[in-house]
Amino acid sequence: LQPKSDIIASARPTTRRRTAQARQSLWLLNDEDDDDSTTYHTDDDEPEPIDADEIFDLIRFISDPEHRSMTLEQLAVVSAPQVTVAPSHILVEFTPTVPHCGMSTLIGLSIRVRLLRALPTRFKVDIRVKPGSHQSEHAVNKQLNDKERVAAALENPALVDVLETCLENVGRRGL
Amino acid sequence: MEAAERYVRTWVASPRDKEIEDIVSGIADGELKLVHIVKALGEYLTSEEGDLRNKGVEFLALVVGKCPLEKFNLQSVKVLVAFFASKLEDTETIIPALKGMLALTPIPVLVPENVVDICEAVFTNVKMQALVQVQRHTVFSIFDSLVARHRDVLKSMGNHFLSGYIALADGEKDPRNLMIAFAIARVLAIEFDISTKFEELFNITFCYFPITFRPPPNDPYGVTAEDLKAALQSCLSASPLFGNLAIPLFLDKVNAGSPTTKRDTLQTLAICLPVYGSRVTSNSGRKLWSSLKLEIFQPTDPETQEEALEATQVVIKTIYADQNTDTEIDGLAKDICEECIQILKEPEKSQAKPAIKVLCAFMSTTPSVSRYTISHAIPHLIKLFVDPDELPNRGPVLSILSSLVAAARDSTVKADFKENIFLLPFKDEVLGAFVTGLKVQSSLRPAIEGLNGLVTTPDLLDDEEIGFVVQRVNEVISGKQEDFIGASDAAIDLLKTISIKTPSHIAQMTLPFLFSALPDQAPARDDAEGREKYRMGLSALSRLCTQPNLFETLVVRLSVRLSLLYAPAIVPEDPEPSAAYAHALQSTLAGVLARKVENGDVDVPKYVDRLVPRLFNITAYGVLATTWGAGLGVSDPRIIDVSARLVNLVTQSLSAQKQETFVNSLFAAYFKGDITPLAVGDLNLPTDAHFAPFDPAAPEGQANLIALFSAAVIALHPEVKIPVDDEGTLLVQLLNWSIRHAKTNVQRENAWHIAAAIVNKHVSSLNTFLNTTLSAFWDEEIAKSLDPDARRRAISAWAWVSRALLVRNYPQALQFVNRFFELFEDAEVSWDAARAIGQVGTVDNVLTKRNHVVIKILHAQKYASNMLPKIIEGTKDPTKKIRQTTHLVALAALIKAIPKAVYVHELPTLMPLLLRGLSLPDLTLRAGVIDTLLSAAQVDVDSGLKTDKEASVAAEHAVSLTSVMLQNSTVAEMPDVRVRVGALKYLAVLPKIVRYDVLHPQKATVLRGLAKALDDPKRAVRKEAVDARTTWFRYSG
Repeated sequence: LQPKSDIIASARPTTRRRTAQARQSLWLLNDEDDDDSTTYHTDDDEPEPIDADEIFDLIRFISDPEHRSMTLEQLAVVSAPQVTVAPSHILVEFTPTVPHCGMSTLIGLSIRVRLLRALPTRFKVDIRVKPGSHQSEHAVNKQLNDKERVAAALENPALVDVLETCLENVGRRGL
Repeated sequence: MEAAERYVRTWVASPRDKEIEDIVSGIADGELKLVHIVKALGEYLTSEEGDLRNKGVEFLALVVGKCPLEKFNLQSVKVLVAFFASKLEDTETIIPALKGMLALTPIPVLVPENVVDICEAVFTNVKMQALVQVQRHTVFSIFDSLVARHRDVLKSMGNHFLSGYIALADGEKDPRNLMIAFAIARVLAIEFDISTKFEELFNITFCYFPITFRPPPNDPYGVTAEDLKAALQSCLSASPLFGNLAIPLFLDKVNAGSPTTKRDTLQTLAICLPVYGSRVTSNSGRKLWSSLKLEIFQPTDPETQEEALEATQVVIKTIYADQNTDTEIDGLAKDICEECIQILKEPEKSQAKPAIKVLCAFMSTTPSVSRYTISHAIPHLIKLFVDPDELPNRGPVLSILSSLVAAARDSTVKADFKENIFLLPFKDEVLGAFVTGLKVQSSLRPAIEGLNGLVTTPDLLDDEEIGFVVQRVNEVISGKQEDFIGASDAAIDLLKTISIKTPSHIAQMTLPFLFSALPDQAPARDDAEGREKYRMGLSALSRLCTQPNLFETLVVRLSVRLSLLYAPAIVPEDPEPSAAYAHALQSTLAGVLARKVENGDVDVPKYVDRLVPRLFNITAYGVLATTWGAGLGVSDPRIIDVSARLVNLVTQSLSAQKQETFVNSLFAAYFKGDITPLAVGDLNLPTDAHFAPFDPAAPEGQANLIALFSAAVIALHPEVKIPVDDEGTLLVQLLNWSIRHAKTNVQRENAWHIAAAIVNKHVSSLNTFLNTTLSAFWDEEIAKSLDPDARRRAISAWAWVSRALLVRNYPQALQFVNRFFELFEDAEVSWDAARAIGQVGTVDNVLTKRNHVVIKILHAQKYASNMLPKIIEGTKDPTKKIRQTTHLVALAALIKAIPKAVYVHELPTLMPLLLRGLSLPDLTLRAGVIDTLLSAAQVDVDSGLKTDKEASVAAEHAVSLTSVMLQNSTVAEMPDVRVRVGALKYLAVLPKIVRYDVLHPQKATVLRGLAKALDDPKRAVRKEAVDARTTWFRYSG
């Protein structure tokens, strides 16, 4: 699990929602003049359903268990296109940096915990490593999606401590 | 004599300061002599009992310490020195004797032989190990005082003094004493002849390096590790003699220490080496470099690397300090340079980064080194760049090259060797490489950075070359490829940098190209591509065109397009895209203009002739001449709003004299229909059109144009005369119009803005209006009127006038506001009156300094402290329920408007009221209350109140706050987004200000409640819900 190189780390996956919105609207509203209130002071009651970008935003700032100063986004472990949202199902795929990465389960678990806390219960969440990106892909997937094993893991105070440190800066948002 | 004896006896029996003071004043008045005291002390000084002797000497020492210095003469000093010296031999009296010695040191008549005596006595008799910290402190203070006052005497004592002192200072551990010891050691090292003793001095100072001291919590003495470090550093860097001994020690610490030690050592090295000098440094040069290299190429952390680079700079500077520019350098710098260049042969490898950092650091060392580095590194990099085998590495090569160029620029800009631009011989190759780099995506960014470095180096590129750069960068911006989109930001920044110094190239080459991205007619509704194109063009233009010449071009070109939009050859079927385009054009102008105003550019006022008439021209044309799309077209209120902002910005910048002329034509247009002189521009206004926006019968479009009028009038200087016969009549006219005839809220607001600005600036000539007319207005329009809507408008108008008076601290302002209380039981408008009280206190963007409004400081505080008690009182009146609620509304409205400092101390009283306010049916008010609670909570967060024993106000009400916020946080119970967001934010802040044991029972409920909010239909709410829930998950004891 090595940070690949600075060049990759600085390549920001773009989120597409904002640009798409801007393109659609006819009127250009100046960001500078808008104060905070206008962002959500919209009179329309149009619902904004949870989308892949939003889920990505929830997990992008999880720190890597080995390189605490790096986020999963910077290491390209997670990205917006790797998140799929259906009405009651969410699939998050992540890419371990090397196929023998021993921290994969921990990374998966931190994503699991984050989503457990941050998503409504109506979603069933699947977390998988990207097919072909890990030696013991099957084992990791099984472990991450087994309710009882996840629950058991969360009973372990030492593990929870590690998870909490990974989730420390998770409140940052990029959108 | 007897008095002395009495004092002594009393003091020995029970030591108090009073006796000492009395004796000292006796001596000062000449009633007593020192000799009397010694005599009186006689029996104690010679007593067999150690304790009594101790007291006797102590008493004398205290008296000597307090005695006026001029009362001592040669004789008495001599006696006292001898006396205290003899008492040093006695273990019982050594402590007070030292105090006595210390008291003697500042006496002016102290002669050299006394000084020597004192030193000798201390050296012979004092064993530092036997003394406690305070006593050792006294010893150090004696020497500190002597070194300060009798340095020459001590110097003449030579090595004898040095050995004596060094023996005493050896082994000291207390930070307070060390602070003095270091100061003394620095003086010794600098001023004394330590040629034979420097090793010993070295031993007693360098043994403290590095300082690892950590002050105990609540340290009362306030000696910090930083103080000690600084004191020790100044001591270590005191003498060049330390050099040979110190450098190996430093290297040891750098290699083996913790990161903090490393940084400390590197900093100390950087301070010491210049003192140790060129010879010592160059002798250890290679060893230094091999240690520093490790820290640079395999850094423990970025800060250490930074320090190591600085230390390297110091090494090089010290070694090559005296070399002049022309000689070829050799030795260490050359070797390091070659070593780094060797590493740079593989620019894509990770070691290349630190290598280039070293070379960049060399740039700001000495001219000769800098020149050598450039003349070797640059050809090497250019060679790599052109090598066909290295094609894939062009990006990294350019990135290295650009940091080198930037470092070279920084060194020429700040250093003293300005005339030497060492880059000059290579500029063609470097420029060529960067320009080539622009063509490939992978090397684009470093190429732009590099060009930025080149154009910002003074006197490097000539005009033609800059033109060449601009041309090439234009090609980047015009590139359609997706890849380039991110880079075009950087490219525009580069052009902007160029535009500041040489705008002509930008005007000739870049602007035409950007203007070509702006079509004459708006792209159709479904042409998102076309819209994107003009937006990109406009955003580039808006960033480039702050420079005066460029802005002028921008104004001309955009005005032409605006005219075309307002008077199209073919009327478009769908007018909205044109309106949106016009809005975008004007917004661009407004954005640039606002930045220019911010920068204080002097060319803004001239646009009253160049831009403002055109704006009036097109907008007037829009309402007078066109019939198409009246609702959606170019007279759309959003466009009018931007136009008004432009007019406002320009008017603000005008002098009073210019405003006078402008305002005359403005009034002529709006009140006499004489619009043509004001609205000069490309479009011909229809000659038969009737322009009378204030006429009740005027079409709505015309009335909308009052926004432009208002934007100009509110920005007038107070000394500008309003061109009407009587300002009061004008105000009455405006108020009536706003209540009866204005058709939209915006129009009404505009009228009130004008009224407020005039009232504020012309108070002195408005006596009748303020005293008579307005109270008639109140009776008629507010108190007696039957139309509730009209009454509400009148209340708003009243609030504006009150605020205009309030901000200038007009004495009767509060009387105007107080009238609102009369309406608190009114069935229809009581809440409007209550909200108006808040409105009066709310900061707005009309009555501002920029608009030349008379604003006195602290007016808001004064208002708040007047209104708050009255309103709080009103909420408590149990006999009148309606009044209570109205007061609550007023409180909710007011609290959001006033400065936090005013109500923070009232919070215990306010909190229950605010909690009640959270159940008001007015959702805007609720949101306001939550905002207030949030900002109050922020105070607690900042002050870390949670750890305080005293429970905060929030903690007291924590449980009810939690449940009320939960109720306000779900979409099922709370339709307003702002309230939900606020409530969730508050829930997120509670764990930060309330101890866990208070809210522990709520945790499960809150987590469950927040789970519902996670499924909110609005994204902004979900975000807050997630954050709040995360905080609560972590909330534990």
